[in-house]
Amino acid sequence: MAASVADLERILAEAETAIREVGSAQALAELRASYLGKKGSVSTLLRGLGQLSAEERAEAGKATNEAKKRIEAWVAERKASLALDARAKDLAEHRLDVTLPGFAPPRGHLHPTTQIEREMCTFFTEMGYGIEDGPEVESDWNNFGGLNFPEDHPARDLQDTFFVTGGNVLRTHTSNVQIRAMTGRQPPFRFVSPGRVYRNDLDGTHYPMFHQIEAVCVDERTTFADLKGTLFAFARHLFGAEAEIRFRAHFFPFTEPSAEIDIGWEGRWLEWGGCGMIHPRVLLNCGIDPERYQGFAFGMGIDRTAMIRWDIPNIQLLFDGDVRTMEQF
Amino acid sequence: MRVALGWLAEWIDLPDPATLQERLTVGGLEIEDVIETGADLSGITVGHVVERAQHPDADRLSVCKVDLGDGEPVDIVCGAPNIAAGQKVAVATHGTTLPGGLKIKRSKIRGVRSNGMICSRQELGLGEDHDGILVLDGDPAVGTPLSEVMPAGETILDMEITPNRGDWVSMLGMAREVRAHFGGELRLPPCDVQESGRATSADVEVAVEDAEGCHRYVGRVVRGVEIGPSPDWLRGRLEAAGFRSVNNVVDVTNLVLLEYGQPLHAFDLERLRGGRVAARAAREGEKILTLDGEARELRREDLVIADGEGAIAIAGVMGGSESEVTDETTSILLESAHFHPSRVRRTAKRLGLHSDASYRFERGVDPDGQARAVDRAARLIQELAGGEISQGRIEAEGDPAPTAEPIELRPSRVNRLLGTALTTEEVTALLARVDIEARPGQGDLLLCHPPRYRNDVHLAADLVEEVARIHGYDRIEATLPSGPLAGVHIAPRRHTREAVRTILAGAGLTEIMTFPGAPPGDVDALRLPAHHPRRTHVALVNPILADDSVLRTHLLPSVLRAVRGNRARQIERIAVFEVGRVFVGGPDRPDDWHDREPLQAVLAYCEVGHDELWSGTEVPIFFRAKGAAERLLADLGTRHEFRAGSEEPFLHPGASGCFRVRGRPVIEVGELHPQVAEGFGLEAPCAVAVIDVEALDGLGAEARSYREVSRHPRVRRDLALLVDVDQPAGELVAAVRKKAGASLLSAEFFDRYEGRGVPEGKLSLALRLVFQRTDRTLTDAEVSEAVDRVVDALRDRFGAELR
Repeated sequence: MAASVADLERILAEAETAIREVGSAQALAELRASYLGKKGSVSTLLRGLGQLSAEERAEAGKATNEAKKRIEAWVAERKASLALDARAKDLAEHRLDVTLPGFAPPRGHLHPTTQIEREMCTFFTEMGYGIEDGPEVESDWNNFGGLNFPEDHPARDLQDTFFVTGGNVLRTHTSNVQIRAMTGRQPPFRFVSPGRVYRNDLDGTHYPMFHQIEAVCVDERTTFADLKGTLFAFARHLFGAEAEIRFRAHFFPFTEPSAEIDIGWEGRWLEWGGCGMIHPRVLLNCGIDPERYQGFAFGMGIDRTAMIRWDIPNIQLLFDGDVRTMEQF
Repeated sequence: MRVALGWLAEWIDLPDPATLQERLTVGGLEIEDVIETGADLSGITVGHVVERAQHPDADRLSVCKVDLGDGEPVDIVCGAPNIAAGQKVAVATHGTTLPGGLKIKRSKIRGVRSNGMICSRQELGLGEDHDGILVLDGDPAVGTPLSEVMPAGETILDMEITPNRGDWVSMLGMAREVRAHFGGELRLPPCDVQESGRATSADVEVAVEDAEGCHRYVGRVVRGVEIGPSPDWLRGRLEAAGFRSVNNVVDVTNLVLLEYGQPLHAFDLERLRGGRVAARAAREGEKILTLDGEARELRREDLVIADGEGAIAIAGVMGGSESEVTDETTSILLESAHFHPSRVRRTAKRLGLHSDASYRFERGVDPDGQARAVDRAARLIQELAGGEISQGRIEAEGDPAPTAEPIELRPSRVNRLLGTALTTEEVTALLARVDIEARPGQGDLLLCHPPRYRNDVHLAADLVEEVARIHGYDRIEATLPSGPLAGVHIAPRRHTREAVRTILAGAGLTEIMTFPGAPPGDVDALRLPAHHPRRTHVALVNPILADDSVLRTHLLPSVLRAVRGNRARQIERIAVFEVGRVFVGGPDRPDDWHDREPLQAVLAYCEVGHDELWSGTEVPIFFRAKGAAERLLADLGTRHEFRAGSEEPFLHPGASGCFRVRGRPVIEVGELHPQVAEGFGLEAPCAVAVIDVEALDGLGAEARSYREVSRHPRVRRDLALLVDVDQPAGELVAAVRKKAGASLLSAEFFDRYEGRGVPEGKLSLALRLVFQRTDRTLTDAEVSEAVDRVVDALRDRFGAELR
């Protein structure tokens, strides 16, 4: 009996030291098992209690349970301190070279022209304009005649035209959509027509294809002042609240009065587009009474707008398919 | 048109140049360039050629002793043929930089020391060379800075004239425009003549035989002229305007053209046959040698000036060389006519012969300006070339030029169109500034009479433009339309087209845009069979690049060329797409333009050696294209089926397939057929998808509705299957889906292996099955049962064994 109590004291002393010195969570678990597991020394001791008298057994049992609790407490304490050590070690040792590049899925790019076209169409749809479309291979009437370009008139030289088989042309502007959208219908009209247009011109600053957007607003009272206001709002939508524009008198066969629009950009006036009140003959050509109805049309290059906005020096850069250009936008 | 401001100032008082340019610009005269002449002449002095000697070692060089007024004359070597002793010349000495940028240094030329350079006009930036060095007129003092001797620099405005304003293409027109903006009085150069000698009609008679083509023909004769070079002032004016000086008579005709906008022509009177000129239609096939040395064949619709024997000029376009004024000419006939604008234009255009005369006739000249111009020219010729102006003008008329009718204008209409509040008086005053007389009519109506020289004012709208222009566009306020709104209509296909762009860019592809002109051989390069519908195309009549002579019927070649371009730029990973129209040609072109110009989209991947820092396994390029196509269809919200093998001849038969939606093919995907890849110069592996945007647009999205997500655990089972190497994996998955029951959430391959440990002819596929129910937790037993069903089915149908 005395021996077993003495044994317990010895086991406890040994356990306290061993637990305090154990170096890992796994070793700690093994150590705990060596005392408290089924075959552990304390458990074995406990099992030996059967041989004792009832009185002795009670006393020894109490002592043994006390010892178990103390060992468990030391284990828990040591376990917590080992976890702290492990966290500290991780913090001290885990090092990534965070200057290496991140990993992202590949990025695609919308063409600058697409991006600007969408901004433009957003502005106009918010202003209550529809979006109309038309063919790129177009009849002479829809591209020229209906728009008041007389036959054998130098106005036809304003645009270098691609002619195609069948007596048609590649449209030189999206104004063909004016004729198509208005013919057979009656105002009010508010629509824009964005799209590809073609001019037979290729040099340092010209490309035979570019994109244009035209806006049309016709009702009984839309004025040149409304044209100006709309263009101011549009310019500011695209170029910021400080954007300035200027109107220069000009000649277009399909508007009268007509003006060219300049945008103030980095201290200079840059040609941006053309505008005017729709020519009465164009309205008549579409079956609309010009005495009753009036309105404006204006148009500008979508690519040109992108070039101004993003300082793209040459329109050819937009259409040569070079992904190094496209990936900048 | 180039307008020298100094010259314009002789016609009317000018404001300061900045104000002038600003007003002219916003008034519709676009100033394309401002040229400052009188280049920097500092460092250049007047020298006197004291002595000229032949260079000892060069036939064409002279060695001159030139007095520069500062001591001993210096030696200067000169190569000009017109150098002579006694001349006063312009000398650039050591250290001077010429306007062209050339810096003068002392040097030895063929062994003779040269202490400077004797300059030509061109070298001084003063105009074109004619004879060699510039010989100074008068007797300027030796050593004077040249800038004090030469006329001061001139500001020249290079203006773009819109085609409606023929009346602007002259000094008179410019002066009128200045007056419209700033007021003032016009000062016209004198036109009165001193006639003497015989009557003009005694030498030549004139007739208009083509009355439609020639409204008026006026002539004058000057006899006894002496042809010679023009004086400096005349040459200066012509050169400033961009003309070359020819001789005193031709130069005068060009000067008057610039002054009054009336084209003139001078014939050598002695070389006219039959004593008559007539404006008549050309005879079919009639030939003429024009002044530019070209033989021209004419047609019946051309208008010519003919003498008693044949055509001597193409009316309004160019004169003939047979009647050209030469150094031997002594008598001239001056022509001043008004030809029909469209007739001149058609002929000039057909012959590709655009002259300063045709430019003005096409745009319309003043119908009343012929007599004034011919008088002005006769007077100047007499001043400069001597001679006698014969008595009287000869004159013939055809159909009268159309006269403008008075135009009715209500000031209220002006305000209604412009959004202004101008009074009747203000409108009248603004119109008066452009010579449009507005007389009060009934009520508030104004009856407006445009001047005869304006051929572009016919309608009330034209008058409104003049009012707005002179009033100033900048003074019209800015408002927003207040009219009623119509329903917003969005063009068909737009949403689908934009969705395709957004999805493909979102899938990592970069959008490009290319010109749709293409070589007709593209369809061969795509291996399209004979009679394929894409072999009929719309051809360009005037292609800009000879090779690109048709409009593309397929987008793929354009994209492949762009891929090749990027490969040439050493881009290693290319992922691009284009959405664009292709063009249907041939006799059976559909009526609806949408069907004639269907939208196509093409995406392409092309990759070489893409080692990456964080790379996973290398994806065969076909699957990139297929993945992008799958993403597109999924994001558009359509259900599709995929079939191996594509019928498109440009795809690799063993690495291609077709996506169908409701049985209709919408996307063909595959690696390029090696022959096609070779044809487009693509060496790196390339996979493409050809997307029928029209078909996608027709489909519409499947209606989406919420699908319940489960709160219960998933059960995962991985199977390693041994199958034949040529067993399509898609069939296995389809069978699995069919057999696994409703609890199957997904079935995906996650590994694929052949090689060591796998028998020859076999392939190991790792298949992951995930089961889950929304109503309860699955039991182990029912999952195992489902897996057993799957394994049995795969074994029975495909001979697949578990590894």
